[in-house]
Amino acid sequence: MIDIKNLNFNYGNKRRPLFRELDCQINAGSIVGLLGKNGAGKTTLLKLMIGLLFPDGGTVNVNNYEPGKRQPAFLEDMFFVSEEFYLPGISIKNFIKANAGFYPRFDGALLQRLLKDFELPETESLQKLSYGQKKKFLISFALSTKCRLLVLDEPTNGLDIPSKSIFRRVLAGALDEDQLVIISTHQVKDVENLIDRIIMLENGQFIMQKDLYDISSLLHFSTSATAEGDDILYSEMVPGGYKVITSQSNGNMNSSVDIELLFNAILSGNEKLKSHVQ
Amino acid sequence: MSNNIFNGHRFVLLCRQHFVHNNKLLLFSSGAYVGVVFILLSFVQASEGLRPHDLDNFRGFLIGFVIVFGLLYVGYSFPGFRAKESTMNYLLVPASLMEKFVFELVSRIGGMLLLLPLLFWITFNLQGYFFTLFNEYPFDPIGIQQLVTIEMPNVDSVGWFILMITALSLLLFVVPFTGAAMFSKQPLIKTLFSVAVIIIFYSTVIYVVADPLGLNRYHPDPEEGMWLVPTSEHSAFRFFAITAVIANAVMLFVAYRKLKEREV
Repeated sequence: MIDIKNLNFNYGNKRRPLFRELDCQINAGSIVGLLGKNGAGKTTLLKLMIGLLFPDGGTVNVNNYEPGKRQPAFLEDMFFVSEEFYLPGISIKNFIKANAGFYPRFDGALLQRLLKDFELPETESLQKLSYGQKKKFLISFALSTKCRLLVLDEPTNGLDIPSKSIFRRVLAGALDEDQLVIISTHQVKDVENLIDRIIMLENGQFIMQKDLYDISSLLHFSTSATAEGDDILYSEMVPGGYKVITSQSNGNMNSSVDIELLFNAILSGNEKLKSHVQ
Repeated sequence: MSNNIFNGHRFVLLCRQHFVHNNKLLLFSSGAYVGVVFILLSFVQASEGLRPHDLDNFRGFLIGFVIVFGLLYVGYSFPGFRAKESTMNYLLVPASLMEKFVFELVSRIGGMLLLLPLLFWITFNLQGYFFTLFNEYPFDPIGIQQLVTIEMPNVDSVGWFILMITALSLLLFVVPFTGAAMFSKQPLIKTLFSVAVIIIFYSTVIYVVADPLGLNRYHPDPEEGMWLVPTSEHSAFRFFAITAVIANAVMLFVAYRKLKEREV
């Protein structure tokens, strides 16, 4: 689905390269979380994947298309929800009338269902909606296009707490097996039980690319009264004790992956944990 | 929809998207244009003792209004490029570069050249009849054929002359069209400034170079003169016609490349 080889990119010649010799392969049928600190290059990587930016070197291949060529056959099977977006001052009905035709697999019934789930009001102008409502509309439209590649940049920013849980529910329920969703976020808690593959980006490099299933078979996430012990790979103090990561080989029961804890552990440069996971 | 260069169905979708997204803006803009034309025509008529406008007035105002309002309209082509968010939307619309480019060219320059004269003709006649309610002067309506009637000057090489006028008129709008593809913010002002700088620069260079070299004393025989250097009316029309056609082609190519190479 997405094949990135030896990707190089920098913004202008004066700055140091943002990406150097990046390699990545992502298959259809999964929800991928692209994680990284602010300024790590998450949005830039997404823009390279969808053809809004052109690589300085290497290749990006999506669905057997070169995104930078912006061919209609590629664009009609891809939808991007950016963090900051523009919606015209027209009604929802007119927006659908103007844009749905571009997407061959567009599902109007699904859109109506999602709009109802998100409790979006009928409006004369999309610009009269709040930021969160606009975002919910855009996410609903994106899912309804049934594009094989959906790219969501910080999708939960601006959503209220009930909407975040609705977002997780509709995303999980509205996808087909041939679709790939890439979610870039720094709010990992919002997508924790949703994603099934993690890609972590730091200093222009992928510091982790792993399926959650593989991680849960290697690492155990739990809480403990103490942070001392040979089997503890990483720990973080929380009220009432510690969150700890231990090796799964100790015969522990499978635990759900605490992505935030894992993210902090990897970013802290914990070599013991890194070597255990790689 | 397998054709990735040009597809009629996608082109229709692009047209529909544009008109659904912008119908109010287009309507209000047309209303504003009609209003300004009506007011200015009335103001001029009032200042001339309420004497109705004639055919000469019609032609003069027509050219003036189409140039001014046409430049304003064409100078803001590619409206999606005015903001980062709308640029992303525009570039990711599932239509080919050629479809987007042709649509913008046809709707901005072609549509404008049809609509502005037509609206002017309607407003001109309405305004003329409106003033007959208040004075005794009869108004002589202007027929729609006057929009396309051209009085040919008595010149040699009519073909080259027509080509020259057409190409130069088109260039007037193609330059701001290209400017709108190049500049995101305030494209018309930046285009006019760039054109002024380029003209001043080349005029200065030609003056500085041509005068000391004595080019003003070079008068080749019209029969044996260089093909491109105009030494007669015929060769002048030919020279400027060819130059304007090439300039149009270059400008449109630059606009297309700018659309193709746009990054966000």
